[in-house]
Amino acid sequence: MKFTAIAGACLSLLSSVAADANITAPSSSKVALPSTFKPPQVFKNANLVHVVSLEKNFAKESINVLIENVSPEPQDEYFLPFTSEQMEKVGGIEVKDRKSADVVGFTVEAVEFDPLSDTQYYRIRLPAPLSPKSQQTLGISFHYLRALSPLPAAIEQADKQYLLYAFSAYCPSAYPTLKQKTEVKLPSADIPDYTTIAGSGDVKEFPVKQGSKLIYGPFPEVPAGAVSAIKVRFESTKPVTHVSHLERDIEVSHWGGNVAFEERYTLFNHGANLSAQFNRVKWAQSQYFNPQTYALKEMKIPLRVGSKDAYFTDVIGNVSTSRFRSNKREAVLELKPRYPVFGGWKYPFTIGWNADTKFFLKKSASNYLLNVPLLEGPKQAEGVEYGQVQVRVLLPEGADNVKFYTTAPESSITGHSVDLERTYLDTVGRTVLTIKARNLVDDFRDRELIVSYDYSTMAGLRKPLIIFSSMISIFVGIWAISKVDL
Amino acid sequence: MAVATDASSAPMELLVSVGKNQSTKTLLRVLILCFIAAAAVASRLFSVIRFESIIHEFDPWFNFRATKYLVAHGFYDFWNWFDDRTWHPLGRVTGGTLYPGLMVTSGAIYHALRALTVPVDIRNICVLLAPAFSGLTAFAAYLLTNEMTTSSSAGLLAAAFMGITPGYISRSVAGSYDNEAIAIFLLVYTFYLWIKALKVGSVMWGALCALFYGYMVASWGGYAFITCLIPLHAFVLVCMGRFSNRLYVAYNTWYALGTLASMQIPFVGFAPVSTSEHMPALGIFGFLQLVAFLEYVRSAVPSRQFQTFLYVGLGGVFGVALLGLVGLTTGGYIAPWSGRFYSLWDTSYAKIHIPIIASVSEHQPTAWPAFFFDLNMLIWLFPAGVYMCFQKLEDEHVFVIVYALFGSYFAGVMVRLMLTLTPVVCVAAAIAASQLLDTYLVYKSPVAPEAKEEEVTDGTAKKSKQSALRSTSQPVVGIYTLISKGFIAGAMTLFLLIFVQHCTWVTSNAYSSPSVVLASRMPDGSQHIIDDYREAYQWLRQNTKEDAKIMSWWDYGYQIGGMADRPTLVDNNTWNNTHIATVGKAMSSREEVSYPIMRQHEVDYVLVVFGGLLGYSGDDINKFLWMVRIAEGIWPDEVKERDYFTPRGEYRVDSEASETMKNSLMYKMSYYNYCSLFPPGQAQDRVRGVRLPDQGPVLNTLEEAYTSENWIIRIYKVKDLDNVGRDHALAASFDRGNKKKKAGKKRGPRVLRAE
Amino acid sequence: MRWLPALLSFALPFGALAAKKSPSVDRFQEFHTKAVASSPIKLADNSYKKLTSAPRDHSVAVLLTALDARYGCQLCGEFQPEWDVLGKSWVRGDKKGESRIIFGTLDFADGRDTFLSLGLQTAPVLLLFQPTTGPHAVPAADPIRYDFTSGPQSAETVYAWIARHLPDRPHPPIYRPVNYVGWVVTIVSVLGIAGALFKLSPWILPVLQNRNVWAGLSLIGILLFTSGHMFNQIRKVPYVSGNGKGGITYFAGGFQSQFGLETQIVAFIYGLLSFAAISLAIKAPRTRDTKLQQIMVIGWGLVMVITYSFLMSIFRIKNGGYPFKLPPFM
Repeated sequence: MKFTAIAGACLSLLSSVAADANITAPSSSKVALPSTFKPPQVFKNANLVHVVSLEKNFAKESINVLIENVSPEPQDEYFLPFTSEQMEKVGGIEVKDRKSADVVGFTVEAVEFDPLSDTQYYRIRLPAPLSPKSQQTLGISFHYLRALSPLPAAIEQADKQYLLYAFSAYCPSAYPTLKQKTEVKLPSADIPDYTTIAGSGDVKEFPVKQGSKLIYGPFPEVPAGAVSAIKVRFESTKPVTHVSHLERDIEVSHWGGNVAFEERYTLFNHGANLSAQFNRVKWAQSQYFNPQTYALKEMKIPLRVGSKDAYFTDVIGNVSTSRFRSNKREAVLELKPRYPVFGGWKYPFTIGWNADTKFFLKKSASNYLLNVPLLEGPKQAEGVEYGQVQVRVLLPEGADNVKFYTTAPESSITGHSVDLERTYLDTVGRTVLTIKARNLVDDFRDRELIVSYDYSTMAGLRKPLIIFSSMISIFVGIWAISKVDL
Repeated sequence: MAVATDASSAPMELLVSVGKNQSTKTLLRVLILCFIAAAAVASRLFSVIRFESIIHEFDPWFNFRATKYLVAHGFYDFWNWFDDRTWHPLGRVTGGTLYPGLMVTSGAIYHALRALTVPVDIRNICVLLAPAFSGLTAFAAYLLTNEMTTSSSAGLLAAAFMGITPGYISRSVAGSYDNEAIAIFLLVYTFYLWIKALKVGSVMWGALCALFYGYMVASWGGYAFITCLIPLHAFVLVCMGRFSNRLYVAYNTWYALGTLASMQIPFVGFAPVSTSEHMPALGIFGFLQLVAFLEYVRSAVPSRQFQTFLYVGLGGVFGVALLGLVGLTTGGYIAPWSGRFYSLWDTSYAKIHIPIIASVSEHQPTAWPAFFFDLNMLIWLFPAGVYMCFQKLEDEHVFVIVYALFGSYFAGVMVRLMLTLTPVVCVAAAIAASQLLDTYLVYKSPVAPEAKEEEVTDGTAKKSKQSALRSTSQPVVGIYTLISKGFIAGAMTLFLLIFVQHCTWVTSNAYSSPSVVLASRMPDGSQHIIDDYREAYQWLRQNTKEDAKIMSWWDYGYQIGGMADRPTLVDNNTWNNTHIATVGKAMSSREEVSYPIMRQHEVDYVLVVFGGLLGYSGDDINKFLWMVRIAEGIWPDEVKERDYFTPRGEYRVDSEASETMKNSLMYKMSYYNYCSLFPPGQAQDRVRGVRLPDQGPVLNTLEEAYTSENWIIRIYKVKDLDNVGRDHALAASFDRGNKKKKAGKKRGPRVLRAE
Repeated sequence: MRWLPALLSFALPFGALAAKKSPSVDRFQEFHTKAVASSPIKLADNSYKKLTSAPRDHSVAVLLTALDARYGCQLCGEFQPEWDVLGKSWVRGDKKGESRIIFGTLDFADGRDTFLSLGLQTAPVLLLFQPTTGPHAVPAADPIRYDFTSGPQSAETVYAWIARHLPDRPHPPIYRPVNYVGWVVTIVSVLGIAGALFKLSPWILPVLQNRNVWAGLSLIGILLFTSGHMFNQIRKVPYVSGNGKGGITYFAGGFQSQFGLETQIVAFIYGLLSFAAISLAIKAPRTRDTKLQQIMVIGWGLVMVITYSFLMSIFRIKNGGYPFKLPPFM
């Protein structure tokens, strides 16, 4: 296990085609450590700025921390603590060096030790060990899904929706922190309730409220693992869109020169439920002056330019309320669900479109390089979060030596496999690369997935030959039968 | 299709066995047939092109659901499928109460394609099954007609007619996935095989006929038409003194094997020996044995008196058998005719006794425009063709005549039976048209004959007057002048062109809308799709609990089962009149009466269809009287039709409406909250075209759960018992009072609770 | 039988109750004896009042009808025999009058005032008066009304209705007398016809074996059915109807409706067209004379074209949106 992790690290360091898919990779990148594990106190956080941004309907946190090696020998393992239920919700952990952008190769793995312990860790491995007394500025960013809960949980159709978020004023850290402050960015200035704590220095009470922004701190030194629970309740009358499952199929056809995309969403609105039943009259009247609502009315899905014949269906057929605008500059798919999706409601649907291979496929000799977005899907102001994502890349029949590389944080890739599937008059079946990911958000829309595979001309000619010969045999058979009949 | 016709080219080579360039002829025929089949398929695709590949109106949704079940669970589970999601709480023994032919057919096609690793969706198979089979039907019509006439063009004409006649298209457009989709092909093909068996008198053809008859029985309740027509044909032949061993062999093979085959279908079971519909077949079976015996004896014993005696005896036995049959029926050993079937003879029967049957629009009698609409010029070529069948009255022509008479009678009684008439119309019309064209499309003209033939031909005329038709007494000479040829040929071509135009127009305008999706034209002429049904069904499917019982009028049962996937109380398979009447009562009574009924049946949601906003006339208020009548049939004291009319006997929904009407659940559910959509005094029902009272109805035991965008579908949630134990009227009025009082400061306490 | 009422009235207990009751008792018994003689009783205004006036301890079922041909109430005529059967069989099964119900018929001719007082426009109307006193008394004094909305009723349905309203009383079954005469007549006639046919067979057989006859018959049948004759039978459509201003409209507007005459016109057109086709296809090529044939072909051809265009123009009346037309009837 450790080996693959390191191998992955080095390969991604080379930023070339990585993670040879033919060897079965671990279901998720985890390091196993003895159950009595405690992070060695080798670092201290000289200065830390913790930004909690709640503009979208998931919690996005970024920690900018100046770490200093306080141990005699060089260290390259920095541990990041989470509570066990945060571990379920956290995703997309990324680390970079704030000072210089060209320092790359930070790897992040979940630490696997005592499953019962409430504190779990992610381990950040620095690209180069940090020598004693020296410092480095890390920019750590991640997000929590299903982190915002509506309060009150059930409201009227036209009411404002208020969301509640609970976090800690002291940034959770495995190391003592000398100086830190926590900024909370909120979508609106309407913040009815937030926890206040005793201030320090010249400020007598935290937080300091600046418009739609709350600032806790700066705080003096706090020991490792110090917590001070904070609850913020703020107005956000937008749908809390949660896609529990997304299945994304990308089918490459060399003969058709076509790449077919299909995405199957299981979409929920985790916003506040309706306290009374849905009232069409009020809804229809409210549509004239279209107010903020927490019901999901419409989704815009920007596609790559050149996408064509898009469709939008659900389990009982085509949904006629969709528009697809495609021209030289843009290709936007606008979806209206059959009904406004209120809090607690569900709306599974399927969309798909085609695009020309020339936008995605590069050929060198018999080797092909496919470059597609890992994630497309709705681009909403309020954001969309994805629980489980499964991306299947259907390569043409006979493609082999499949490798892939993605720019998405690899801590959210939980597994991948390569197998065969038989469709459309296949004989051996075409190669399918399946990638599983979890806890993604729509910030990763632009992350790309690069797949490389070999595909020989002979394999390309297989199907036409087989079809031709079988048709011939059928006709000959019929002819023979008719002769017999005479 | 191409493959099929290729395969069929072999027998056709047999047919066209003269002429040295017969192979080119065959090739031409194959090509023409392929084109006809293609045209037949293409002309049925309007709805797919306009809307999408979607299953149409009501029954197809059940067939579709059943097919999906078959594909998912396999044949044996399907065969004994007990469906507890319909007719709650009774459930339905679906496997034993349906005609499996359709589902099995499309299931087989599905698995065949899967074997070829063609990943086709089962829905698309179901949608396109009917057009595909219409191509086959055209081919079957070709074969049947070729049995009737020697003219080589008649068959092709018949195929073309069959392919595009609206009378058949009406039930076989893409998406109307109903039993008729395959049944008509089977009907025509069975008849073809019957004629073939009768002509050749071979057991093989008879067995084939029985085989397809079995398939037909497995596919459509209309098989009774074959079951009655073939014996009738046989009987008529015997009465015409045309008994022959060919008839004997063909009929007995068909009857024995066919009856056995039909009894394999659970839904049919022992009906072939225990119900009156099937008695003619049985009777003729016995009758033929007698006749055969007597024929044998006559050939053996050459005595005049003996013969007469035997004939008398024969008649006596036949009469006795008939009396016995009547006796058994009255004695109850043989089930009398089932209602649907009986209402064909006693046409006023259904109206009085079985309102459910009478309430179905396609069970209404047929007005003449419908005939012309569905058959256009064929309707007058048809009698001509029948007349020509009298020219040389072979056995097969007798069949056409008998079929024509009974087919047209049935079609006149019931609109939907236009379907069974259409094939014979196509055949007969094709015979007539081809004879016309053959006469007027020959280039070389005969020379004017001398006068001396006259008296000879007169003599022949006198002789042949007795047996043959008077019109055919003279020998054929042909048409002399090119003018007359050109004139008639031109006229016929014009008519045929108009016919094609007509068929296309009718198909695209009348028969191509999948009544699930409605299309309306925007002011700018663009098409606007009204998708309320699916909107509401999808809402039900996603946002109600898996086993929420939906109460609606039976028309929508299949759609709810298919699209919303929720249990229903009643559906379009109207096997239990009482249960339907219960729903009718719940809909037509006052809330206080309906609520206990709904509680007893564990109803969670009630679904009504309301067209008032859009002017959609097929809504529940317009069907309401049928609900009342059906309920009245069971509870004459509690539901009375006259109470729903105004004292002046009008059926009104506005402020003049009768009290019973205003208090009925259906009325309340349709108009609840409706007037609040309009400025005061403007509330209007666009179907009934009336102004509605400003004070809308008040619902106590139900609450509005969902209303679709154009208000076509309204879904109500049945309230649970009040948890303080008040009755709903009290509770509701209390709530209303509250709402008015503290609407403003509702948020205050909530926020406190939040902390 | 005569002494029965008297005896019964003596047998009754005396006292206040009896004093109030006795007239009505007499009433019931008196009418019941009449009923035993012939039920249902023919009533007139006064007898009707007497019979139905409250207080009463018996039920009365009165059919208010108008049998006289002047009023042209054919429903009355249809229902009357059924009503008589019902009344007769009820009394026949209940001679002692335990069910305490009287069946009466009030014809408009005899009961004009009653009709007016009840404000009846339509007939027949069946009223059931429930007892106001006695064991079977019901609170509502005014009669229950049976409506004939759903067409002519059989004795059984009415019987069921009455039985429903008279719980816990004897319901003597309906008894329909067998019509022996009818049977005899039918049997004799059938035998007679059979014999006649047998005797006449030498003359009849050729007709039966004549193709022309059969052809004609079947064509007529087909034309009848395909021109919507069954629709007329079932829906009982009017033969023609007047347009607002004195004239008559031959063709009913609307796709789903038609008139009797309309269908005959259509049947005629169909027949004409098919006959044209037949003679063009069969007769014309068999005519030896060139001129004659020429005329024949052109003539029939013209008939065909013109009639067809006329048919289409008719169809355009029925179906407004129908786009196709042929000269001369554009």
